[in-house]
Amino acid sequence: MKNYIKLLLALFTVALTGCEDVIDVDVQTDTLRLVVEASLDWEKGTTGNEQLITLRTSTPFFDTESTNVTGAEVSVTNNATGEVFLFTDQNNGTYTTSTFEPQLEATYTLEILYDGERYIAEDTMNPVPDITDIYQDTEDGFDDETIELHIVFTDFEEEGDNYLFKFERPQDLLPTLETGDDEFINGNEVDWWYEIDDDEDEEIQPLLPGDVVNISMHGISRSYFNYIDIVIDQMGGVGIFEATPVDVKGNCINTTNPDNYAHGYFRVTQTNKATYTVQ
Amino acid sequence: MIKKGKRKVRLRWLSVTSIIILLLSYTPVLAQESYTISGKISDIENGETLFGASVFLEGTTIGVVTNEYGFYSITAPKGEYRLLITYMGYADIKQDVNLDRNQNFNFELSEISTQLDEVEVTAEESEIAVLRKPEMSVLKMNIETVKQMPVVLGEVDILKSLQMLPGVTNNGEGTGGFHVRGGAGDQNLVLLDEAIIYNTSHMFGFFSVFNADAIKDVKLYKGGIPARYGGRVSSVLDVRQKDGNSKRFAATGGIGIISSRLALEAPLFKEKGSFLIAGRRSYADLLLKAAGQDNSVSFYDLNLKTNYKINTNNRLFLSGYFGRDAFELGENFSSSYGNSTANLRWNHIFNEKLFSNLSLIYSKYDYELGITSAEFNWVSSITNYNIKYDLKYYFSDKFKLDFGASGIHYEFDPGEIIPTTETSSVNPLLLDKKKALETGVYVNAEHKLTEKLTAQYGLRYSAFSRLGGQPMTEYENDQPVVYNEDLGIYERGTAIGETVYEKGDAIKTFGNLEPRASLAYTLNDNSSLKAGFSRVAQYIHLLTNTSSATPLDVWAPSGQYINPQLSNQYALGYFRNFKNKAYSMEAEIYFKNTDNRIDYIDGSDLIGQNTIETEILKGESRAYGLELLFRKNEGKFTGWISYTLSKSEQRTPGGNAGGLGINDGNWYNTPYDRTHDVSISGSYKLNEKWSFGTNLVFQTGRPVTYPNGQYEYEGVSIASYSDRNSDRLPAYHRLDLSVNYKPNRKPNAKLKGEWVLGIYNAYNRKNAASVSFGQNVETGANEATRTAIFGIVPSITYNFKF
Repeated sequence: MKNYIKLLLALFTVALTGCEDVIDVDVQTDTLRLVVEASLDWEKGTTGNEQLITLRTSTPFFDTESTNVTGAEVSVTNNATGEVFLFTDQNNGTYTTSTFEPQLEATYTLEILYDGERYIAEDTMNPVPDITDIYQDTEDGFDDETIELHIVFTDFEEEGDNYLFKFERPQDLLPTLETGDDEFINGNEVDWWYEIDDDEDEEIQPLLPGDVVNISMHGISRSYFNYIDIVIDQMGGVGIFEATPVDVKGNCINTTNPDNYAHGYFRVTQTNKATYTVQ
Repeated sequence: MIKKGKRKVRLRWLSVTSIIILLLSYTPVLAQESYTISGKISDIENGETLFGASVFLEGTTIGVVTNEYGFYSITAPKGEYRLLITYMGYADIKQDVNLDRNQNFNFELSEISTQLDEVEVTAEESEIAVLRKPEMSVLKMNIETVKQMPVVLGEVDILKSLQMLPGVTNNGEGTGGFHVRGGAGDQNLVLLDEAIIYNTSHMFGFFSVFNADAIKDVKLYKGGIPARYGGRVSSVLDVRQKDGNSKRFAATGGIGIISSRLALEAPLFKEKGSFLIAGRRSYADLLLKAAGQDNSVSFYDLNLKTNYKINTNNRLFLSGYFGRDAFELGENFSSSYGNSTANLRWNHIFNEKLFSNLSLIYSKYDYELGITSAEFNWVSSITNYNIKYDLKYYFSDKFKLDFGASGIHYEFDPGEIIPTTETSSVNPLLLDKKKALETGVYVNAEHKLTEKLTAQYGLRYSAFSRLGGQPMTEYENDQPVVYNEDLGIYERGTAIGETVYEKGDAIKTFGNLEPRASLAYTLNDNSSLKAGFSRVAQYIHLLTNTSSATPLDVWAPSGQYINPQLSNQYALGYFRNFKNKAYSMEAEIYFKNTDNRIDYIDGSDLIGQNTIETEILKGESRAYGLELLFRKNEGKFTGWISYTLSKSEQRTPGGNAGGLGINDGNWYNTPYDRTHDVSISGSYKLNEKWSFGTNLVFQTGRPVTYPNGQYEYEGVSIASYSDRNSDRLPAYHRLDLSVNYKPNRKPNAKLKGEWVLGIYNAYNRKNAASVSFGQNVETGANEATRTAIFGIVPSITYNFKF
């Protein structure tokens, strides 16, 4: 519901404004920070043993060459059982394990030792309901001539479920991320649609027959929702009718030097994956 | 009537009046017998009463100006006088009077230009620096001046014109509202015929809701707000509609690119009354539909006013405004919003010294959103009923008293979701409706202390009760917002229960004394010094965390978790007229601070939010600045140069929530901070046929928050952002030009036509309304994208009247 309204405001901006162009702007530069992309996603129907964590550094805004971080010590602990999963440094910024044991409702702690500083983060694994149907249509969405995908699932009965959706087409450089919660739809059968708007300026095509779309749907914790929701809102910049952008802080705390907090997030989720080919 | 302070005044209804009477009995008794002349001053052509016309006894310093209803009352010792009535742009009237008893004189003035075929243009009296009155920090704009200024797309706009004067800015092109002396948009009390207008914008702020054809006067109080107003800490914009021509049928109208207008006025009941009906409608939607477009936008306004003169001492006014905007984006999205107001007024003249007005006012703002594909509608509104009684007592030539009382009942309906089908996946939802009562009593004196020193001092007492009939959430440790030490972020508090307040109960009550005072010291015939102080309380707040207010923003009352905003403002000014009022200069400095200004925690979510307290922290704001205004009031060329140097900032400590606060508790720029703001506006009248206008504007860019780094996450480049409002958009500047052409017409022809050609932003400056940062979808590189709203915009409008 909220996303509709946000999207609508973004659309008003587009509808009301004439002219956009790319300009040179001087921006400030923050200290470079550790970036943690620790997404332990347990795909339904798999063991979830294989997991990967990526460590990089942040860069000035207009530099997109990030540096991989090697030489860190990375581990994840199941808080309840005390079981520790060590991640092996692959010397390319990634750290992997093949022994992770996912457990619903369990809380895990990530620990990273890097450059003499210790970072920790915590998250809880939330379940995700099954996708009961995926179909395509044109009638819904912003444009009733373009194809949109529909994902159907039934929200859990108890209120407080949060979702992250990721849609990727191989030919696109950037994925689409969307969040949802059950504040207005608790317990209902939900029909979630995904559409790519026909954008004349940027050569992104709407969904066309033959397109392959990789879909992932995650059950996420509320604190991760709070994080990723703002991140998504601010992706691609904010217009005049959208909230003033803020520096979003993830859950990775630097216990040695709190001011030197890390970007990114440690999340543990249960996940549905699907691939759909547009007819 | 009071003679020698002894005769009894008949006042009813209000307890405050008895206090006034007590106060009056202590004022010094006049040494010799005095009498009073009173009456009304109006325009001979259309019968419109004139506000601000001066009535003087020649050769003395005894004089007054007419009030909003054209009424004046002047008291002087017994004797022979010559009464002089002046109003710039109108021919003077002189009248010999033998003041040996109380008398009533009504005067009708005629405009100079209709008498003589002069080319000379003179500014209205209201625009010349007022020297003797303590009134300061006030901007008046004559509606004729507004109509001559170049404007975007030819839509005459009072709010945009006011922004050409010192201390008034906007939040960028195409955004609604205005900002006064570094204040927020919701700190302006906007009144249209006394009714509160909650949203002043059409089409998200491209145009304003005021149809110039229906407007008589515009007055903006930037500070020194008189005690009769209350409820907003930054400014009061008092807009008055025309009464309607009481002499003959008249029509005015115009055809423009965006909209067309028509206003009709005529006498009623054998000239005992008159009416005005004015409408305006945009037609972009019709063109878009004709062009086969699914998207459409439109707005309309309807202004109504009628009045009836029961007898010399009693007059009734009924006025109303209805305006609405509608948007459709494809078939699936529709949205509409608008204001509706109505006001019934009764002017009663008790006697030649006591004028009164009773008003019953209704106003409502509502917003509607329909999303067909998701099968729901969203509605929200704010409604108020207001009763107000204002009196003015013209005690003597040295002492005048305003006093009165008001009560406003608010109903806030912050939002409701209504599923439109049974199968809708959206559940119905009703956010808690809120009710509140705001009352005020005031007394204000205008007191001539010596020949050179005049004071205005007053006191307002305001009270606000948040009424029950709703539950209030209680939080753990009484913290709706909690600082998370570990993550260094503010989070929503944990609800631990609810307290249900019954309908008769007050959830919370506030009361504030608001002293107001100003002084004018006349240095000589041409210059004066003024000083002012005002304290104002504001009990309702517009919730908005976006760069620009949107029509969806909802108003919230003060209560358990939100305190009233309290502001103190201090101002000093120097005023001077040159060359027999041909030029005038006004200079003011001000400082104001406001307590309990709320700001939003990082990541705040206001849409459909039932517990606003979990999204906000309480802080303070302060603003200070220097304002200069230099005007040329006479001659073929008239206009002004205005310059403002100012600072506006706020700070929001963590308080009860813990932590340092927003921006680590440091001061940060408000979005309305503009270091420099220069506006030049000029018009040149070549002859009866041709005249030219121009505007030149330069402003420091708006404070914004830019990225200070980026990192890769989920395959996307994510920006990290710097401190709140620590960057600025590029400077804003533009030049506008206009040409007015009045074709030859036969001397007796009734129809008077006029063409207005305009060019807005003549050198096509791409002023950034926003700069947004993101990834190029093809290359993946980060880039900054500027959104400019108006490039060069030519326009043509045809105006007529008969």
